[in-house]
Amino acid sequence: MISVKNLHKSFHTLKGRADILKGIDVDISDGEKVVIIGPSGSGKSTFLRCLNLLEKPTEGQIIFDGEDITSSNVNIDKVRSKMGMVFQHFNLFPNMTVRENITLAPVLLKLKSQDEANEEAMALLDRVGLKEKADAYPSSLSGGQAQRIAIVRSLAMHPSMMLFDEPTSALDPEMVGEVLSVMRELADEGMTMAVVTHEMRFARDVASRVLFLDQGRIVEENTPDELFDNPQNERTKLFLSKVL
Amino acid sequence: MSLSEHLFQDFIAEKRYMYLVDGLKNTVIITAGALILGIILGVIAAIIRVQHQNKKNSSEKTGPVLFILNVIVNFYLTVIRGTPTIVQLMILTFAIWKSGQPIQVAIVAFGINSGAYVAEIIRSGIQSVDIGQTEAGRSLGLSERMTLQKIVLPQAFKNVAPAIFNEFISLVKETSVAGYVGIQDLTKGGDIIRSQTYDAFPPLLAVALIYLVIVIGLTQVLNILERRMARSDIR
Repeated sequence: MISVKNLHKSFHTLKGRADILKGIDVDISDGEKVVIIGPSGSGKSTFLRCLNLLEKPTEGQIIFDGEDITSSNVNIDKVRSKMGMVFQHFNLFPNMTVRENITLAPVLLKLKSQDEANEEAMALLDRVGLKEKADAYPSSLSGGQAQRIAIVRSLAMHPSMMLFDEPTSALDPEMVGEVLSVMRELADEGMTMAVVTHEMRFARDVASRVLFLDQGRIVEENTPDELFDNPQNERTKLFLSKVL
Repeated sequence: MSLSEHLFQDFIAEKRYMYLVDGLKNTVIITAGALILGIILGVIAAIIRVQHQNKKNSSEKTGPVLFILNVIVNFYLTVIRGTPTIVQLMILTFAIWKSGQPIQVAIVAFGINSGAYVAEIIRSGIQSVDIGQTEAGRSLGLSERMTLQKIVLPQAFKNVAPAIFNEFISLVKETSVAGYVGIQDLTKGGDIIRSQTYDAFPPLLAVALIYLVIVIGLTQVLNILERRMARSDIR
C-alpha cells in the first residue's frame, strides 16, 4: 500500500540546518495498523506528515498505490484525498457547521452532490454518536466530540488509509477513551492506519506493528507484544521504562 | 437676513440643493467603484505576498513568476502608501490618463490607492488564520486555491472586518479631494454653494452631516455583518 524508501527531511532554521528524518525505510501493507512511538523531537510527526506530503521530503521516495508521490508530476491533491489525516488540534473549520465541515471536500471535489454528502454525513455522525451535533459549530463541541468529527470528516472522503497525528494529545483525559474507541472500530473494519501516539495501551491492543523512532531513525520495530515486553534496543528500553 | 432666509438662499433658491444631490451621487459612485476595485486589487496583492512568504519560509524555491509578481506588489504598496492620495489623483488625471472620463479616472485612482491599504489588512487576516486550517483543507484533497477560497479567506475576512471597514470609512472621506481635479463631488457641491451665496456655514455643515450619515450607515452595516459572522462563536 505505502512504501517509504530512504526518507530524509531537513528544515532550515535560524540556527542552521536541522536534520529531522535521517533515512526511514518502512512498508505498510493494506489493512495494517502501524503505531509510531518515540520521544519528543524524534521525528514521529514529521514522518507522518511526509506521508501525505504536508512536509516535502528532502530526499527519498514514497510509493503509494504503486505511484511515487514524491515525483513532481504527481497530482498531490488526488493522493491526499485517498489519505485521511487527523490532527492533534482537530483543525475543524470554525466558521462552518459540523455538517458543512464534513461535506465541504466531497462536494467541492464533485464526488457527491450536496444532498448525497449530507446524507452520508448524517450516517457517519450516527456511527460516532454525534448525529445531534450536525448543525452545531465547532466552538460548541468538547475536544472529544471535535476529534470524532474530525475523523468523520476524513472518512467522508473514503480514504484507503488514515494518518493520525497524536489524535488524543490535546484532549482532557476523560475524553481520550471516546476517540480511541472510534479509532479501534475503524481498525476492526480493516482500515489501514498509521498512528503517532503516546497511548501505549492503544498501541498494544490495536497495532499490528510498532515503530520506535529516535533521532530521525527507526531504532526498533516489532509486534507490540514483542516490542513492549521484550525490547531489544537500549534506547527503546529507556523510553519504555519512562512511559509504561 | 434671518436664518430661514439664509437657508432658503443656500439650498432652495435656484435649486441649489441639487449641487449637494449631484455631488452626493458622484461621491457615492466614486466610493463604490473604488471600494470594489480596491478589494479586488487588495486581495490579489495580499495573496501574492502571502504565497511568496510561505514559499520562502518552507524553503521551497519560489518560481520566477511569483518572484516577479511579489516585486511588483511590493513596489505598488511602497509607492501608493508613500505618496499623498491627492498627488496620485492629479498625476493620473493630468499626466497619465488625460483622455479619461473624470469620474472613471477618480474611481481608478482611489481604487488603486485603497487597494494598497486593503492588501495589508487582508494579508494580516490571512496570516491570522491558523496554519492547521490550511493543512486540514489540503489533507482532504482540496487544491491550494480551493483551500484559500473556501477555508482561509472567509476566516481572514471575519478577523479583519473592522479594519476593512475602517479603510472604507477613510475612503469615503478621502474622495472629498476629487474637487481638485474638477469633479463635482459632495464637498465641491457645498463649496460651489458657498461661492455663490457667500454663505459658508450652512452648506458646509450640510456636507459634513451627509458624510457623517454615510459613515454611521457603514458602521451599522459592519455591526450587522459582525453579528452574522459571530454565529459560529456562540458557545
